[in-house]
Amino acid sequence: MSQEPERASSPIELHKALSSAWDTPGGWGRLSAINHSILGKRFMIAAFVFFAIGGLLAMLIRVQIATSNTAFVGPEVYGQIFTMHGTVMMFLFAIPMFEGFAIYLLPKLLGARDMAFPRLTAYGFWCYVFGGSILIGAMLAGVAPNGGWFMYTPLSSSTYSPGINADVWLLGITFVEISAMAAAVEIIVSVLKMRAPGMSLNRMPIMAWYLLITAFMMLFGFPPLILGSILLELERAFDLPFFDPTRGGDSLLWQHLFWLFGHPEVYIIFLPAAGAISMMIPTFSRHELVGYRSIVVAVIAMAFLSFGLWVHHMFTVGIPHLAIAFFSAASGLVAIPTAVQIFAWIATMAQGRPRLDVPMLYLLGFFVVFVLGGLTGVMLAMVPFNWQAHDTHFVVAHLHYVLVGGFVFPMMAAAHYWLPHFTGRVSDHRLSVPAFWLIFSGFHLTFFLMHLTGLLGMPRRVATYPAEAGWDWLNLLSSVGSFVMTIGFALFVLDLIVQVRFGKAFRRNPWGARTLEWAMPTPPASYAFASLPTIEDRADRLDPDALAPSLARGEGYLGFMRNGWQETLGVDMTTGRPEQVIVLPKPTFLPLWSGLATGGFVLGLLFKTYWLALIMLAVTVVILISWTRTTGAREDTGPLAIGGGESAPPHWEADQAPSWWAMVFTLAANATLFASLIFGSLFLWLVAPGWPPAIAAGPGLALAVPCAVALLVAGLGGRRAASVLVAGSSPAAWLAACAAGQTTATILLVVMAAQVVEPTGHAHHATVFVILAYAALHTAVGTIFAVYGLWRLKAGYLSARRSLDLRIGKLWHDYTAIVGIIALVGTSLMAILAGVPEIQP
Amino acid sequence: MSEVTVQGRQLVLLAAGFIVWSVAFVALYAMLSVGCAYGWDRIDLAGGLTLQRVQLIVIFLVHLGAGLWLARALRPASTSRGDDHPAQFLRHAAYGTAVAAVAATAFTFAGIFALTSCY
Repeated sequence: MSQEPERASSPIELHKALSSAWDTPGGWGRLSAINHSILGKRFMIAAFVFFAIGGLLAMLIRVQIATSNTAFVGPEVYGQIFTMHGTVMMFLFAIPMFEGFAIYLLPKLLGARDMAFPRLTAYGFWCYVFGGSILIGAMLAGVAPNGGWFMYTPLSSSTYSPGINADVWLLGITFVEISAMAAAVEIIVSVLKMRAPGMSLNRMPIMAWYLLITAFMMLFGFPPLILGSILLELERAFDLPFFDPTRGGDSLLWQHLFWLFGHPEVYIIFLPAAGAISMMIPTFSRHELVGYRSIVVAVIAMAFLSFGLWVHHMFTVGIPHLAIAFFSAASGLVAIPTAVQIFAWIATMAQGRPRLDVPMLYLLGFFVVFVLGGLTGVMLAMVPFNWQAHDTHFVVAHLHYVLVGGFVFPMMAAAHYWLPHFTGRVSDHRLSVPAFWLIFSGFHLTFFLMHLTGLLGMPRRVATYPAEAGWDWLNLLSSVGSFVMTIGFALFVLDLIVQVRFGKAFRRNPWGARTLEWAMPTPPASYAFASLPTIEDRADRLDPDALAPSLARGEGYLGFMRNGWQETLGVDMTTGRPEQVIVLPKPTFLPLWSGLATGGFVLGLLFKTYWLALIMLAVTVVILISWTRTTGAREDTGPLAIGGGESAPPHWEADQAPSWWAMVFTLAANATLFASLIFGSLFLWLVAPGWPPAIAAGPGLALAVPCAVALLVAGLGGRRAASVLVAGSSPAAWLAACAAGQTTATILLVVMAAQVVEPTGHAHHATVFVILAYAALHTAVGTIFAVYGLWRLKAGYLSARRSLDLRIGKLWHDYTAIVGIIALVGTSLMAILAGVPEIQP
Repeated sequence: MSEVTVQGRQLVLLAAGFIVWSVAFVALYAMLSVGCAYGWDRIDLAGGLTLQRVQLIVIFLVHLGAGLWLARALRPASTSRGDDHPAQFLRHAAYGTAVAAVAATAFTFAGIFALTSCY
């Protein structure tokens, strides 16, 4: 292994050398792609395919309710159609489209060569495609989910949805969410650690702030839904009664868990689009973004406030007025940070010299549509009005105004703005303008009228309605509008195809943008930047035209090859000072195999062949562990030259490698899931009917105390193993102690869970069982971490300098010890709460 | 103090104000439910003030005080924008979010002083 750079004699030679290391093989080798440009495009194309499917479903909906008493499809099929429309648009289009957009663009905006974990990107992509395919396959087979995209219990419980339909949603969507969580962790780590040298946090392009905050929202927003989905699937598959009010459960728990995700989800969709808007408006206004810092503050405020709104979806369920007032106030309040951004964009245009082009046309459409949606949102935030409009088409109109206005219009602007970057071609936009007007006018005709049908009392989700209701002409016009909009979308697609196929090649930066993604040839090379720039100003004040040739000549950082490695730089989180050389993995089929194995696990659960599910789970774990065979090094490397006379260690010798941070953020998401589980248990105790249970359940001291000791031994072993390794001694004994502690704790937790009396009898027993099972799962994984550490030690991957594996393991062992003890104490307290009559509410 | 701790702290401070708001939200919503479950809205302490309202007001004031203290602590020493220095930028932004969070706390939970709490 050489530490010396292999310098190229010319930009062409450098390009060839870098391409040989970074390019993805052709033929079947394309399935091994892990490059962010390729996967970003694949994500976006797949998301657009799902968007088309969701659009077709929307047309079927509009045909069915175009007139009264329609017999186009029956209520059963209609239930599947509207459920799948919502599910596809939210989970299979919006989130993945944003992910693809972020994956393609983020490294280029930040001055990096790829995302932090390319194989994870690929694994996320396969999980998304396979999970989405399960849903679409189920729809084609006539067994699609049919209880609404929010899957309310008890309708979605096995009593009222006995078939496979609801399981398809629960398992398919959870499968897809692997991709969302992976993207969230990866975006956070990439933004915080993988920027061009000199790009301090205050110099980041505003898009990076938006994506960073959005990813944090995903990190804390998705776990409640994942937990809810797991609990509901456990109820459906094994009759554990979390949501069954006849056995101490409560269907409102599902609504809380779902909307705790569901409302932030709307902002998770909007904020990346707002980031794109914040990139495009300055370009077309020929003026830098006004109010950069105010926007950062507004987005942070918006992110938090969006978590305090979820009950506005539940204003009519009987929650006390004072609680409703909190959520109503927060719902109205969120308009303020939104307005800060809108006014910043208007101010940017006012300060600059705006020019109208197709992306700006879509952005003007966005302003109109989104602001109208926001205004109806404020109306719906007011409880008295909400009670009148709840579950009517007024709400359908509002949500489409904010989602189509806040995401689809900006994304169509972004498609026109960045497509030249993907293709290296520009269009004369002859089809773009009519496409816009068809979409814009069709949209308003479709959805504005729904405000009126809603105010006239038309409920959502009804398959038909009587002629006497008087909604026919409005619905017919809505349906006509939807077809006009569809024609517009078809023209939009045709326009993109024409541009890709026949557009004119351009030299560079067709819009005169001042951000880093244009400082490269288009379409971009697999390595993005031949060398990495030094950033000395805010990243939306750069001169890509001057910067690009210099970077192509290799005059920046890492403008060379070394050992055939795929290198990029890791920087200090705040200042952007280079601190490590991150060596990225080569193309590999492992993410595909991992995705297939995970798909096998999901299908095993879906068809209730649990033996197969367990086998596939084991296969998945083995494949995921095999990813590590090509990571790290068997000898110390020391600092590596990075250019400019500077040096930095490889990431496996750095203090805080990206993977260390990834584990920190993964555990943060995990802690959110665990906290949701604990709160869910307390919620049931406090408000669910049918309490107290006949018998209280909890772990006995005889097993809980040794289990706590084992957890502490494991935690201490993990900590000491890392510290003695850094000090230069062998960690083998401590790792063995850690493995023994985790294994012992696993056995004891499994025994305690097995001793829970009749988990199917009462929600209290079921929650105790699940909390103990959660802890057992973590200790089992902890065992794997400890044994893996021993294997890495034996294989020669560890030394005082190369302690990353054990430091990552330490994080897991610490977390497991903490949540394990909380699980033991928590379930013991739950037993007391459930068993003592004096403290029953 | 390690560099990681410093970096992490600077980032957490950006969200500190709204973390206080979030904790207030969870505490008030949870204790509202607990109070209703135990009938604290029917326990009159003095002058028509119920145990329920008093405990909610105390929780609210504690968090409002914490938010105000935080905003004051995060107030930048200089009024210069300092946006080209990451630490100063983060400090100004953290101050901005803290002030916004105090306003959000006062507005979101103002209902505890007047509204019926359990129906």
